[in-house]
Amino acid sequence: MTKSVLVATLTLLVVSVAALCLGTPLVGVNRLPAAFAGATDLEHAVVVLLRAPRLVLGLLVGAALAVAGLLLQESLRNPLAVPELLGVSSGAAVLVGVCVVWALPFPGAPLVPALIGAVVGGLITLLAARRAVGPAAVLLIGVAVNAAMQALLLTAVSLSDSREQGVLFRYLLGSLTGTTWESVAVSAPGLIALLPLALLCVPLLGVLRLGDETASALGVRADRARLIVLVVACALVAIAVAPSGPIAWVGFLGPHLARRLRPNADPRIWLAWSALFGALLVVVADLAARTVLAPVELPVGGLTALVAIVLAALVIRRRGELG
Amino acid sequence: MRFTLVVLPVLVVFATCAALLVGSTISPADTLAAIFGGGDELTRGVLVELRVPRVLVGLGVGAALGLAGTILQAVLRNPLASPEVTGVGSGAVLGAVAGTVFLGIADQPEALTIAAVLGGVLGGASLWLIAAKAEPLRLAVLGVLVSAVLAGASLVLLTARPQLAGAAARWLVGSLSGRTWEHWHGLWPWLLVVVLAVVVLAPALDLLAVDDDHARTVGLAVVPWRLSALGAAVLATAAAVAAAGTVSFVGLLAPHAVRKVLGAEHRWLLPASALAGAACVAGADFVAQALTALVPSSGSQRIGIPTGAVTALLGAVVLVVVARRASRAQVEGGAR
Repeated sequence: MTKSVLVATLTLLVVSVAALCLGTPLVGVNRLPAAFAGATDLEHAVVVLLRAPRLVLGLLVGAALAVAGLLLQESLRNPLAVPELLGVSSGAAVLVGVCVVWALPFPGAPLVPALIGAVVGGLITLLAARRAVGPAAVLLIGVAVNAAMQALLLTAVSLSDSREQGVLFRYLLGSLTGTTWESVAVSAPGLIALLPLALLCVPLLGVLRLGDETASALGVRADRARLIVLVVACALVAIAVAPSGPIAWVGFLGPHLARRLRPNADPRIWLAWSALFGALLVVVADLAARTVLAPVELPVGGLTALVAIVLAALVIRRRGELG
Repeated sequence: MRFTLVVLPVLVVFATCAALLVGSTISPADTLAAIFGGGDELTRGVLVELRVPRVLVGLGVGAALGLAGTILQAVLRNPLASPEVTGVGSGAVLGAVAGTVFLGIADQPEALTIAAVLGGVLGGASLWLIAAKAEPLRLAVLGVLVSAVLAGASLVLLTARPQLAGAAARWLVGSLSGRTWEHWHGLWPWLLVVVLAVVVLAPALDLLAVDDDHARTVGLAVVPWRLSALGAAVLATAAAVAAAGTVSFVGLLAPHAVRKVLGAEHRWLLPASALAGAACVAGADFVAQALTALVPSSGSQRIGIPTGAVTALLGAVVLVVVARRASRAQVEGGAR
């Protein structure tokens, strides 16, 4: 246990330093302290103003999406309940995207529209899926809601004049391009406040895992407990989506790796590992996205989606968890 | 049954007229005058060079998608099968996008269709490898995952060429804006091939839709017939995608609605689905054009509300209803 924590911390450190150093221009590890101190103007600007906020936001967003994914999967008892397939992240992305594309003066943008969008998207899916039976049907309904949301976003983009590629890719797939300290400041406080709140939800998850009947026999109102967990998950997704778009499928990959690694652990341990894997995944994928085809930047969500969905398909096929 | 076969052509004609009459630049009244030989040079030009090919492409795309959906639902024995949940549609988009990015064939409809066919085969084959024996709902979920991978890959490819950003919206959601005679000439030969194939395939589809043993008993060579049916479906999807991008859910919606009314006989089902698909796309284009006219115009760059967005929104509602019903049917079937 202590060994794996040590390994994880070291990996996180190495990845973070790599994210600060690699790219054009290449900043040597030995020159990092000087760059932070502001010794050379160029390296200071690149490391402190461009790469550091991107790294911080990547870590936070990855952790938040993975934790939200774990909460959703545990509370709905569905291994494929990811924010992407429940209309939660696409709802948030649509509303924020529409505000950005049409330059709407929305009060409290981008957090408030993201929150509203996430809740509305999730509600539509849950209401539509209320009388459906089985995880596969619920997911298919989520997919339908998702498709409708994406169609709305694409409509907004094609109706506007500012058909900026960045906006489109950010809110369709998720991207960390152009992150500044301001965008970190918008969402960091919310995320840092919500992550401990997610930890408080863990006892509820433990009860919900036993099934609704057992939960009510234990004196827990299953519906109310699930609602609380879902609201926390929605809020996490919304705040993560507002600055960077729905970085695709992190909410599946993080929790899945955590459960694979520690099959019999406490949900609290899963939560921590999910957060760690989510953060690592986003930072590594972002590093790849901006260096592999430089100077072209790929949307980071494209890479996470490719990895995660292949894994998801294998999971369904192997274990027959659906249907 | 007779009633439906009369209603569907009437619907198609109705949708065609509506889509012809409504649009930017010239008013419905002027268009009507131009159709009956009146109007000035400009109005006639807009009608013949812009409106007519646009509506024709829309009808062709709808018919192709309706046929593709019917074939897929019969061959896979899955009421949820359609180009968008089998990876065929997004595979075709990936093929067309890859062709555009790497080979620069955006303005050669024939080459684009071939690229789309290759992509569609790739998408369908990858689903087949993953989920050959899965039951309907699971196949649909796996198909959605495969489609998501392929769509993500298309988006990543599009980032490699920033100047194609404007085209991204078209590929991803499907739009009839700017479709000209050139696109119609690229579409109709493929459509003709598909229709001829369907005429041959229709009786076999009835048997394939039941089960393999039954088909073998009456002497049908199951494997080659199934493969050629799937091939026809991929071809139809690819032709539609190359002409207009992803017009979502038409291939799911049209055959589904028609089967409810007409039953499962493919002799009637196939032409009716083609008509219903054509009416869907032309009608959706009319709605999209009418809504675009309502939205305050802000610039010349915009391509208007995409036709595919209208079908995606309506189709999503239908998919929800169908998925709920399918899940309950599965549970009841399991209980019996």
